[in-house]
Amino acid sequence: MATESPGNEFGRVSRLRGQLFESVTFAASITGILALAALLIYVTIDAFDLEAASPEWLLVYFVTLVLPYIGFCLYETDRAIQRRTALILAGGLVITAVVFTAVEAFVRPIPGLTWQLVYLFLFVVPVAGYVTVAGSNTPTGAVGFGLLGRIAGGAALGLWLFIIFVVFDLQMYFLVYTVGVFPTALVWYAVRRWNVAARLAGSRVDRDAAELLTTRVLVGAVGVVGTAGAVVLRGSLPVYPTDLIMLAWSLVAPVTAVTTVLTARRYDRRRGVLVGAAVLLVALGGGFGLSVGALSQNGAVLLLLGVSVPTATYLNRVWRADEGRAGLALPLLIVAGALAGAVLVQTFGIQSPDPWLDLSYIRGTPTTQTTQARSAGLFPAIVGSVLLITLTALISFVLGVGTAVFLEEYTRDSGVIGAISRLIQVNIANLAAVPSVVYGLLGLAVFVNFAGFGVGTAISASLTLSLLILPITVISAQEAIRSIPDELRDGSLAMGATRWQTTKNVVLPEAMPGILTGIILALGRAIGETAPLIMIGMATIAFSPPSGLFSQLSAMPMLIYSWANNPSPEFRFGVVAAGVLTLLSVLLAMNATAIIIRNKYERDA
Amino acid sequence: MMDTDPERFSTTSRRTFLTAAAGAGTAALAGCTQSSTADQETKSITITGSSTVYPLMSAIAEEYRQNNDNVDPTVNRTGSGGGFSNHFCVGNSDFNNASRPIQPEEEQLCGDNGVEYVELTLATDALTIVVSEDSFVDCLTVEELARIWESDSADTWNEIRDEFPNEEIERYGAADTSGTYDYLIENVQGEERGHTSDYTATEQDNQIAQGVMGSENAIGYFGFAYFFQNPDGLKAVGIDNGNGCVKPSLETARSGEYQPLTRSLYTYPSMEALSEDYIADFARYVVEQTTNQELVAENVGYVPLSESTQQEQMQKLEDAIEQAN
Repeated sequence: MATESPGNEFGRVSRLRGQLFESVTFAASITGILALAALLIYVTIDAFDLEAASPEWLLVYFVTLVLPYIGFCLYETDRAIQRRTALILAGGLVITAVVFTAVEAFVRPIPGLTWQLVYLFLFVVPVAGYVTVAGSNTPTGAVGFGLLGRIAGGAALGLWLFIIFVVFDLQMYFLVYTVGVFPTALVWYAVRRWNVAARLAGSRVDRDAAELLTTRVLVGAVGVVGTAGAVVLRGSLPVYPTDLIMLAWSLVAPVTAVTTVLTARRYDRRRGVLVGAAVLLVALGGGFGLSVGALSQNGAVLLLLGVSVPTATYLNRVWRADEGRAGLALPLLIVAGALAGAVLVQTFGIQSPDPWLDLSYIRGTPTTQTTQARSAGLFPAIVGSVLLITLTALISFVLGVGTAVFLEEYTRDSGVIGAISRLIQVNIANLAAVPSVVYGLLGLAVFVNFAGFGVGTAISASLTLSLLILPITVISAQEAIRSIPDELRDGSLAMGATRWQTTKNVVLPEAMPGILTGIILALGRAIGETAPLIMIGMATIAFSPPSGLFSQLSAMPMLIYSWANNPSPEFRFGVVAAGVLTLLSVLLAMNATAIIIRNKYERDA
Repeated sequence: MMDTDPERFSTTSRRTFLTAAAGAGTAALAGCTQSSTADQETKSITITGSSTVYPLMSAIAEEYRQNNDNVDPTVNRTGSGGGFSNHFCVGNSDFNNASRPIQPEEEQLCGDNGVEYVELTLATDALTIVVSEDSFVDCLTVEELARIWESDSADTWNEIRDEFPNEEIERYGAADTSGTYDYLIENVQGEERGHTSDYTATEQDNQIAQGVMGSENAIGYFGFAYFFQNPDGLKAVGIDNGNGCVKPSLETARSGEYQPLTRSLYTYPSMEALSEDYIADFARYVVEQTTNQELVAENVGYVPLSESTQQEQMQKLEDAIEQAN
């Protein structure tokens, strides 16, 4: 609405149009987020049965858990932030109560919500997020969240290891480690320690040949022979140590050793031994007695091993840096708050919700019987999904990076190779738009029927999913490689490096963050896919986790989809909601892992 | 990194390795051993096919697992036809469930690939025609039903019966890969009159239910299980097959009064699979469970077999197992 004002010869332009446009773009950008947030709120309420939580229950945990947490975050922030937080929390309480009651009274009742829940999701959760960000900028807060992040990340890593050992054979790993990896490491160490190459070089062999012979050929031979020996032994050896001993020897011991050496190298020997001892004690202590209720002994060892390494090294670092040590109390604060809440709820007999998403759901086997909703579990599908995504990540990394390196580093503009690479390039760009069900047909025809990998096996499914996301991984890896300046390549080549050395030492390390970002985005698509999996005959329901690459498996989206069609509303709301939250958590954990790896590469580069 | 100065930290590393090795060695000597797990591998059973039979089959498999944890049955929902043509008749699956008997083309495909099988009846399902609770429809004759679902179908309700309002018919039904779809065609309008394409097709029963609940001019059909659990908001239409109006229920389905919309549910084990003892054992268990009132009727919502039918099926299975070996 540009209006000309007659009195002013330059004219005046109305700002209205611009402001309207701005608000439209703002509305567009939050529509999706708001819709998703509303859905997630309802899913969370269903999954944890919060609708049945009494106001007293919410109040108890608000006081014992949420308020101390907010207090911790605000401990070192400035006054303005503290005042703002208190104002929003208090004001929000009044506003929600009044508005909600008014709407219920005059407009219509709101299904499945109480004003306490609305307050929780509209005010408490955003405020907690806000103070977390504010608090992590203070020294104490940074230490607290650093520790919390390492505990959570370590636990996720430990659980991932646990899942991998559910699928793959621990006895096989034990043999491979004992007769393959361990002797190889010993030989490699011995060759360096006593400088075997130099001694050998004296007589008839020249120095380079001796070096090659000892560090490459000898070490390689020991590794190959050992691994082959392990495979042979696995078929014939009838007796093995118990799981706990195998884990202690082939996983806890080497991890402890490496942690000790690395810490000793960074600080001093005493600290190295201290950190190593802490890791050993926590991990094995967990296995011997402290089995963490929900998990088996193996699970406890692996979980605690995952937690102890990053936690112990971080504690050591913080203690040494001598800043924000008070932040180390954050995990204790949370545990104490949860315990205090539980004690209060018990003592006063407060009615608590009966969550669908609990340990028995995570560990249980699935069911479809309409009267058995309470006993439904997700464990086989969780293991299936994690295995599927791990394999897909590996395969698509190899295929994607391989294709991108060929297209960016080895093609020429002319001749046969040029024509081939142009053909590949055009096809990849088009493949990105092919519907997923077509990839399912491809998987059915090629992997299941032609290659005979079996209906719905882990290997057929992960190959199919890898092909599905291949265009995305290739294109993003290409972008990443293309963004490396030619000066770097030229510098490397000018120093006499071969093209292979340049690619390996210069291009790929520089491009790695970009490549990993592409794979993260693509895996996010792969984990939620069902159409191609249905085509290759993946099991909708499996009662035990997969036991190898050629084992049938089910995945979370498949099971959730079939539960959503169950006649019983308990399935369609409770069980499905719990499944959706679990799927999202696994997805977030994987993305977080990938982002940490990416950030680390970016820092190093 | 390690090769910068191997001398410096050698002692720590070696000491740790030695301690760990000694510790593990001592413990192993103390007799903490277990036997190899190589020969205890779980044996898998692949079950594909109808999404109508899926809940029944997975409930039976779940029960079976509780006493046989070295056998791992997996059940998936490919649709009856999808299961036969993509998996079973190619020789890749052990059982295929179907909500209709195997079709001649599928028999041909199985035959070409040398896949032999036996047909077992599992339960009876009643196909339910549903309308919204507030709908004006209570009862339809088979011919009226055919007019609604045939390929050259009526557009408005008053074409079906004069007393119905002049409103467009909103149809919700099974996708054409589903056994339910084939069943309706064969038993109501007949092959030559086909199935309308002017409807919302889905494999998901609750989408049909949601659609039908949403409008009083809507009509839909699906298996009995869904309606058995969720009568709220939906009304089952009685069917008049010339002998008055019959509403679907467990009793009318089993007695055969609810005609022509009761149908049998089948599973097809392949002969090759039955030659394996553990699969034969599972197949026997499946047939045993077909008369289990609690499992079949209450937990899944189908009509269990009568004792005599079950015995026939068991005989058929035993003959097949004998022939397979």
